[in-house]
Amino acid sequence: MHLMVEMIRSSILSATPVLLAGLGGAYTFHANVFNIAMEGMMLIGAFTAVAGSYFSGSWIMGVLSGIAGGLVAALIFAIFVVSLKTDEFVTGTALNMLALGGTTYSLRQLFHVKGAFMSHAIQSMPRWNIPLISRIPHLGPILSGHPFIVYASILLAFVVEWHIFGTRYGLRLRAVGEDARAVDSVGVSSDRIKAQAIIASGVLCGLAGAYLSLGYVTLFSENMSNGRGWIALAVIILTRGRPMGLLLMSLVFGLFDGLGLSLQGTIIPPQFTQMVPYIATIVALYFYSREKRSARGGKETPTT
Amino acid sequence: MQDQFIKMDSITKIYPPDTLALDKVDLEIQEGEIHSIIGENGAGKSTLMKVFYGMAPPSGGEIHFRGRKAKFATPREAVASGIGMVHQEFMLIPSYTVYENVILGAEPAGRFGTLRHADTKPKVEELVDTYGLNIDINSRIGDISVGAQQKVEILKLLYRDVDVLIMDEPTAALTPQEAGELFARLRGLNKVGKTIIFISHKLDEVLELSDRITVMRKGRRVVTVDNRGLDKAELARAMVGRDVVFSIEKAPASLGEIVFEARGLRYVDENGVIRLEGVSFDVRRGEIVGIAGVEGNGQYELVQLVTGLLSAQSGRVFIGGHDVTGEDVMARRKLMCYVPQDRKVSGSAQNMSLVDNAIMTHHRLNPEIEDRCEALLSSGRCRAFTSRLVEDFGVLVPELDAPISSLSGGNQQKVVVGREFMLDTDFILLDQPTRGLDVGSIEYVQEEVVRRRDAGAGCLLISADLDELFSLSDRILVMSRGRVVAELRPEATTREEIGEYMLGAKDAQEDWRAREEVGK
Amino acid sequence: MKKQVLPALIGIVVALLAGLLILWAQGYPPLESYAALFSYSLFSKFAFFSTLDKATPLILTGLSAAVGFGSNCVNLGQPGQFLIGAMAVTAFGIAVDLPAGLMIPLSILVALVAGACWSGIAAGLRRRFKMDEFITTLMLNFIADYFTLYLISGPMLDKRMYSPLTPMTNPGAWLPIWNGFGSAFLVAVAAFAVVSVLWNRSKIGYEWRAMGQNPIFSRTGGCRNDAAYVWAMLLSGALAGLAGGLMIMGGMQHRFVKGIGANYAWDGVMIAIVANNNMIATGLYALFFSVIQTGSMGMELETSVPSEFSLVLQAIVVLFVVASRESTRVLINNITAELRMRRARGRDKGMGDGRHASNG
Repeated sequence: MHLMVEMIRSSILSATPVLLAGLGGAYTFHANVFNIAMEGMMLIGAFTAVAGSYFSGSWIMGVLSGIAGGLVAALIFAIFVVSLKTDEFVTGTALNMLALGGTTYSLRQLFHVKGAFMSHAIQSMPRWNIPLISRIPHLGPILSGHPFIVYASILLAFVVEWHIFGTRYGLRLRAVGEDARAVDSVGVSSDRIKAQAIIASGVLCGLAGAYLSLGYVTLFSENMSNGRGWIALAVIILTRGRPMGLLLMSLVFGLFDGLGLSLQGTIIPPQFTQMVPYIATIVALYFYSREKRSARGGKETPTT
Repeated sequence: MQDQFIKMDSITKIYPPDTLALDKVDLEIQEGEIHSIIGENGAGKSTLMKVFYGMAPPSGGEIHFRGRKAKFATPREAVASGIGMVHQEFMLIPSYTVYENVILGAEPAGRFGTLRHADTKPKVEELVDTYGLNIDINSRIGDISVGAQQKVEILKLLYRDVDVLIMDEPTAALTPQEAGELFARLRGLNKVGKTIIFISHKLDEVLELSDRITVMRKGRRVVTVDNRGLDKAELARAMVGRDVVFSIEKAPASLGEIVFEARGLRYVDENGVIRLEGVSFDVRRGEIVGIAGVEGNGQYELVQLVTGLLSAQSGRVFIGGHDVTGEDVMARRKLMCYVPQDRKVSGSAQNMSLVDNAIMTHHRLNPEIEDRCEALLSSGRCRAFTSRLVEDFGVLVPELDAPISSLSGGNQQKVVVGREFMLDTDFILLDQPTRGLDVGSIEYVQEEVVRRRDAGAGCLLISADLDELFSLSDRILVMSRGRVVAELRPEATTREEIGEYMLGAKDAQEDWRAREEVGK
Repeated sequence: MKKQVLPALIGIVVALLAGLLILWAQGYPPLESYAALFSYSLFSKFAFFSTLDKATPLILTGLSAAVGFGSNCVNLGQPGQFLIGAMAVTAFGIAVDLPAGLMIPLSILVALVAGACWSGIAAGLRRRFKMDEFITTLMLNFIADYFTLYLISGPMLDKRMYSPLTPMTNPGAWLPIWNGFGSAFLVAVAAFAVVSVLWNRSKIGYEWRAMGQNPIFSRTGGCRNDAAYVWAMLLSGALAGLAGGLMIMGGMQHRFVKGIGANYAWDGVMIAIVANNNMIATGLYALFFSVIQTGSMGMELETSVPSEFSLVLQAIVVLFVVASRESTRVLINNITAELRMRRARGRDKGMGDGRHASNG
């Protein structure tokens, strides 16, 4: 029983960065921007969050500078893709490399270390013990005592759902994704909406990065996003950018991550347990494609 | 002089790098008139309206609207001043409902931008009723007909309360009946005080509808005249700059053996919608068989089945006497050439050089461009082949290594047509071969098709342009809802009759079946 | 061709200037640092040979990415294919002991096949189940990473060592080093020649390029896109696998150590991107990147700029070259249009304005 609780608890923790990045990517998904740069935005966010927290001594400043890091990365992406009209895939890949190189370089430049930076001076996010719930047996340890961003991100999923499907901005955003010219023709700048979507994804990816380096663990290591940005991208495709689906799918992903962790120490070598989330992503993609192939009925019928 | 309603003063537009689209155009439009702008493709009609509408900044010149200088930076500013435009390609979001498309860009929103439909939905409903548009505002754009989509475009403008409606080639995708309806609607709008600017390249339409007509040619305004006792031929001369032959001269068909045969084709798409049902017909050497129909009634699927890009659930396809039903595209290409519908999407790779575009399909079938080693292509021979194509088909090119996108639309199409005709097969499939071309190129392509027919090839021509079908075809098949509903001779039918078949109002097979029933 | 060179040069120069600015802003002597960058990569025999050594995997991963992207296959699995290629050659070299004349060609073959198998998984999943290869290849990278890590820390661990690495391969599989010049480079050059001919001159190469530019066009033209896709994926994977294999066969180490892939695979992806999938440009950028990487060691030595600066510089080069490719074209077009407008104005002044006389 204790093992179960531990597993579910850790799955919520590891679902959070994927959910946050996924919610950010939902904006670019609906604007039809191929945002392969989420991995890099997240990595930059993780680094700037650690730097901010370390130098200011406050976790709030850490989180804010994590967001700022993601924002700057998004601005670069937006300038290239929207203003200069460069290819999204090309720019995103280059940005990922810039993030990897830039954080590795800055790690040595600012903190004079290679590989990873740990320090007691890094203030991590406080954990929230929810008064009543924390006392419920089994459920308490699962639901309570997480960094606040965990709760915030679940709330955020509902906000993003409303924002994309219930507001003026959302209507325009989805229209841009389907036919940008049509939006321009009614006098709304599709470029501006695309840029806004990219910035939203940058902010949320930065937050995801901040969570990684200040909430999930309290350190920065080279390439610590470790493919979570790409998994988020896969999850977005699987859920067709629906925030509620993202919430569910990232929990499933977290569960597999948790499963991998709890299998450690058994006879299965740790390298195989660490593969679990990536294999799970491929398997999920398989089911998604199968569903898409067999029953593409109903609403999404393109009429020629 | 009284203030003009709309006055454009030596408008010039250069598209980078070096395309002079408008050359000092002056134009005056009076309030409450139906003013047509006529000219061939590329004459600058649409560009002029785009400049006026704030979609393309002018390189020079001034516009006055209601006596005031107007320089719309975006369409939104134009709409705010009461000017609206329906584009030739509809600007609609297919997955949105009619209502959502109408409000897009002018959405009613409450706190935090939450959409509020309570007031606007009835308002839109009311507009639909007032103007007798007869559409359900809750249906999805993707599910309604082209004619209905056009109504949505007009509804969008009415919702924004415009006084001036610009209609860019509005009849291009409509059946004759739908076009008639549209004209009645435009007259109605005109009667309640809307000014209408009607852009077209079809003389008959313009003569039927307008109060005044402006003719444009090669980026210049040629003349503006009142529509009273005008002579069609004279107008055509002004438009093209020379005498125009209204139909292609062609000798009567001398029929040979059957070169193409479709037998009982049935195709159900991945959503389970029946796209083709029981389609059977043949094409003989020496004839051109035209296929008419509203787009989306199975022509697309028919072409895909003939070329081998899709495979039918049942039925067979024969080309030159061979059963090619199970064969792939390349195997069929040995027996047929195919001019695809959209040269930019399927007929060429815009970023590749002219040579690379010219050798497609030939690279597998034509040994003359091979290197000594069979798996390789000889670049010298590929170039020689391309030069021959350029020469034989009169393509104007800067250099063979230039990307094909640097050629004009007409020249690109000549490359595509030339490439296919150089395969030199007895069966030719043409899908909208002249769409979007200027008159000169249209004539060229049409003459080339007739020449092939006279040389003994069998041609299957799919076209949305009834004029083209009438002037080229020896037989016309009409498709509606995935079936061939009529076979007609152009000399023995009318556009209106074909229109009725296209709309499904009339069904020759059903007539025939009904008669058979009675006979029993 | 000329049209592509100018924006590339502008992009590189601007990127180098931006790098200069970064160095200067952080208090390093910028010019001395750049001088060290180039002198430690080009201006001595040893430096030049180590640049060629570094270029070897870069050329191959660059070709791998160029073949993939250029044929519309989003193969982002070079890191995994690289590792699997390297691991296969290691295992083969440990298990089999033959004379060099047999061992070297066989090892090369093993590397090619292993890389192709790994990309073949993604290709198969795409063909069979329509699964996006860009996600599957990315995920396969992590799987390859953990799998090889498992092998070198478990079954294939060299028990005499304290860190996870394998024993050395048999010497037959070692590529000779002549006077400091690693002959692995020659293998890369040969691969470059073969792939270039295949890409630019062969029928299948033409179909790859056409598919890369417009898959609907190539399909309509009768090309068998499905088959071409699989072959392009396999070739792409094989080249990345060869890059990995040569890491074991060349150099001095001859064993699989943790982190052997470094960043070579992603560098290759960037090289293909800046080169716009052009083969010659891919070769040139691979050399250029290797100059930056080799020289950055010297830069650290001379002016103590962290060698990781090379990663930043490379990414900046990519961004600026890609941006200048687009914006130079737009800029040139706009200038041409402006000149045309002026010419028109000048003409009108000379002619007066009587052209609009109507004939109706």
